[in-house]
Amino acid sequence: MPRFQFNPPTLRKIRRFQSIRRGWWSLVVFGCMVVASLFAELWVNDRALVVRYQGEFYFPGYSDPLPGATFGLDYAYETDYRDLARRFAAAGDGNWVLMPLVPYGPYTTDLRDDAFPPFPPDWRQRHFFGTDTVGRDVLARLVYGFRIAILFSLGLLAVNYAIGVSLGCAMGYFGGRFDLFFQRLIEVWSNVPFLYVIIIISSIVVPSFWILVLIMAIFGWIGITWTMRTVTYKERERDYVLAARVLGASHGRIILRHILPNTVAVIVTYAPFSVSSGIVALTSLDYLGFGLPPPTPSWGELLAQGWTYMSAWWIVASVVGAMVVTLVAVTFIGEAVREALDPKRYTIYE
Amino acid sequence: MTNGSIMPINPKDTKHPELRTVLLFCLFVLLLMVAGCGEEKTPGTDRKADATADAAPAARRPREPLPEGIVWQTNDTDPVFASPEAVRGGTLHEALLSFPLTFRTVGPDSNSSFRSAILDNQLSLVGIHPNTEKIIPELATHWAFDPDGRTMYFKLDRRARWSDGHPVTADDFAYTLDFMRSEHIVAPWYNDYYSREIERVIIYDDHTLAVVAARPVPDLHLRIAFAPTPEHFYGRLNDDFVLAYNWEIVPNTGPYQISDFEKGRRVRFKRKENWWAEDRRYFRHRFNADTVVFTVVRDFNLTWEYFKKRRLDTFALNLPEYWHVKSRTEVVEKGYVERIWFFNDTQQSAQGLWLNLDREIFADRRVRYAFAHAMNVEKVIDQVLRGDYYRLEHGFMGYGAYSNPEIRARRFDLGKVEALMTEAGWRRGADGIWTRDDRRFAVEVTYSLEEHTPRLVVLKEEARKAGVELQLRRLDATAAYKKVLEKKHDVAWMGWSTSLRPQYWEHFHSVNAHKPQTNNITNTDDPEMDRIIDAYRNSLDATKRAALSRQIQAKIHEIGAFVPTFMVPYVRQAYWRWWRLPEPAGTRHTGDLFDPFGSATGGLFWYDPARHAETEAAMKAGRGFEPVTRIDETYKMPSLR
Repeated sequence: MPRFQFNPPTLRKIRRFQSIRRGWWSLVVFGCMVVASLFAELWVNDRALVVRYQGEFYFPGYSDPLPGATFGLDYAYETDYRDLARRFAAAGDGNWVLMPLVPYGPYTTDLRDDAFPPFPPDWRQRHFFGTDTVGRDVLARLVYGFRIAILFSLGLLAVNYAIGVSLGCAMGYFGGRFDLFFQRLIEVWSNVPFLYVIIIISSIVVPSFWILVLIMAIFGWIGITWTMRTVTYKERERDYVLAARVLGASHGRIILRHILPNTVAVIVTYAPFSVSSGIVALTSLDYLGFGLPPPTPSWGELLAQGWTYMSAWWIVASVVGAMVVTLVAVTFIGEAVREALDPKRYTIYE
Repeated sequence: MTNGSIMPINPKDTKHPELRTVLLFCLFVLLLMVAGCGEEKTPGTDRKADATADAAPAARRPREPLPEGIVWQTNDTDPVFASPEAVRGGTLHEALLSFPLTFRTVGPDSNSSFRSAILDNQLSLVGIHPNTEKIIPELATHWAFDPDGRTMYFKLDRRARWSDGHPVTADDFAYTLDFMRSEHIVAPWYNDYYSREIERVIIYDDHTLAVVAARPVPDLHLRIAFAPTPEHFYGRLNDDFVLAYNWEIVPNTGPYQISDFEKGRRVRFKRKENWWAEDRRYFRHRFNADTVVFTVVRDFNLTWEYFKKRRLDTFALNLPEYWHVKSRTEVVEKGYVERIWFFNDTQQSAQGLWLNLDREIFADRRVRYAFAHAMNVEKVIDQVLRGDYYRLEHGFMGYGAYSNPEIRARRFDLGKVEALMTEAGWRRGADGIWTRDDRRFAVEVTYSLEEHTPRLVVLKEEARKAGVELQLRRLDATAAYKKVLEKKHDVAWMGWSTSLRPQYWEHFHSVNAHKPQTNNITNTDDPEMDRIIDAYRNSLDATKRAALSRQIQAKIHEIGAFVPTFMVPYVRQAYWRWWRLPEPAGTRHTGDLFDPFGSATGGLFWYDPARHAETEAAMKAGRGFEPVTRIDETYKMPSLR
């Protein structure tokens, strides 16, 4: 096998994409958001990054929980590092704690004796976006919720495309009865009101992350299958496919080596939009209370809280703002990809 | 949320405290009361002539001779609880979240929250005094118990009239049995109850009868004091019943009757002129509003807005959010709207965590105790519920002598958890959770109400400190209920509805353990427990039963499969200041101070036109009054003082 290398047309498309500034910068922003969320433990966490105690260093971030007794406190449950930091600072004997930027985890409830949540944004307490109705940091829940949502929609994308691309290709390529059968199946399947089915299923079993991906995928493969079928159908009739067949290439080789690479443009164009619809789907299910089980951090759950407690504007403002930024970014990326891959480069419709 | 006076009465409801505007003085009595239908013809209803035309008058029932030696009793000495200052007049506006699907009180779709408004206007043979819990007259003036323990004799009030003017006779009670046993009403529960629990009605003359239960039962009057059904109205039933009576106004015996309604929008009740019972000792000075209008407002938040705009007269402020935050509003601060916090001493729902003893982890009693000590219920009360709720000490508080005041729920205590778990051979794992033989102390908590998530989230965080992991599983109410009844839960977060006396057999007797679709959701299976419960069920002596009841509660505490959480032993309401309440504002068992109809505790409030005029004038001029928040602790539970 030769070493993988982009061929010149692909390189040209990538350069073209980069030249569309809006899409390119959206990709940069979106990429940063994803990376930041993947390493969220380093900057949004109720565990300290580093603890210096009696001459030794501790790194609680990714380790097993350290009981309070480790640092000379009088309890056996996990250390409260915010409290520890205050104590060390007060004692001033060389011990110190380095907390992440946001010193709260997505499940940490920061309750107070003299007031009741939700608390408004407070830079001194480092609740940059305030807290929700249980006293959990809104920013922490947004970040961890974003990580779940993005992984969810990528996972959903992978499953949907695996089914959709292979089935669609096969339908378009083989045609005939095979095609007819699956066409009818898809027609029937697409008439099932899928949101209701998901709601019914998830009210009976509590969906875990992968179960939810699978439930969504049961109905999600249809769109891409339909498109792939059409595209393959078209490609199959091209001369190069005929030539390959004349040369004695197998079906597998024709589909994988000849047709699929020529349909990649379609797949890539659809992908960003699928990602955003995945995020929206998860958020709406969580909003309705049929998504991931509480207390999983989730945008939909925050949105529901914001709706109930309109007076706590910071909840609804944060989550709506985050959704707008994410969805706009993904949409801009999608547009730019489509434009970059558009063969009719110089055509202008007015 | 219900707005006070109306609430679903369903023995299977898994209720939570905010919803409990319950009096449930006797679930039974309410369930037994059955509708008749009305006379006052209204523009909205055209009585279908054929519904009654077919019905041939029933043949006169045989009269039996009255047995010798009956000792008649009555009650005209218990204290009255209405205010002599009460005057008649005014219109009370209440909200309904949805319009009822039918005015029938039996049959398909009849179990709506509105049904109680209709049933409350159907008096029973006798009632129960809301403060002394003794029997008081309703339709019967006198009663007597037969030594056989299952027969009760009644003398009807000769002045008792249906709303269409017909006298209430013993035949109407006999007809209740015919009606309730009829297959035409399509109500299997009633069919079954009136066949299995009530044997027959014996008529001695038009105003004297006896009701015979199928077997001797304690508190017989709760079981058999049902309401009459107007035979002259229904006649012989046929297959048309369900459709023909959907919107019929059935004659009733209570103080109000539906005067008109607009489907989907409102129902208006009018007080009867010269109601036959208005001078009776326990009904005098009650049921003062001339009219009561129920308007449909389909959203709870909107109900609050309607109230502030004076389109509703009262609003339930039980939720901490409403009492503390939302009612900090102009109409309250200027004193146009008054607030009351009224403590009652009524049966408390058994709210809490129910552990499934068939789960291996809960087989060890020390682990169950440790679980209880790991639940920081006090923190939830103080920091999530604004200190408004109270700790439920055990599952049967508020049952008077039947409650054991000595039991205290196990408090959050890390030291005790540590000691119990170590003793049981567990140790803390790397993640801080207790482990033994690769088994982590992680249990699933099944619940259904979204509003309870904040409470559980805090419990979960606190339990983690104690080395117990709670995995929260919120299911849709039906799915959660099914899962729990099939005993597939580790821990169920739920509450049970209440009845006048504690019911133990269905929850704690081994007969109901280890099998699906019974209420013994802890799978409690203890021979000693069975013995006391059987004794409790078989005893007819009230004192002995109360003692056994307290003993059972101690046993439940000892077994430790139920971790009690919260109770709300009060009602909080807001009302426009021209509505007046007696002193004290309600009774021991009041669940809604502005319940317009309830024969036991309803109708104590009245309308003050002078104050109304004064308030209108002040509002126009922009003047305010001193804001009023009345706290009435007359009936506060002794343990909370």
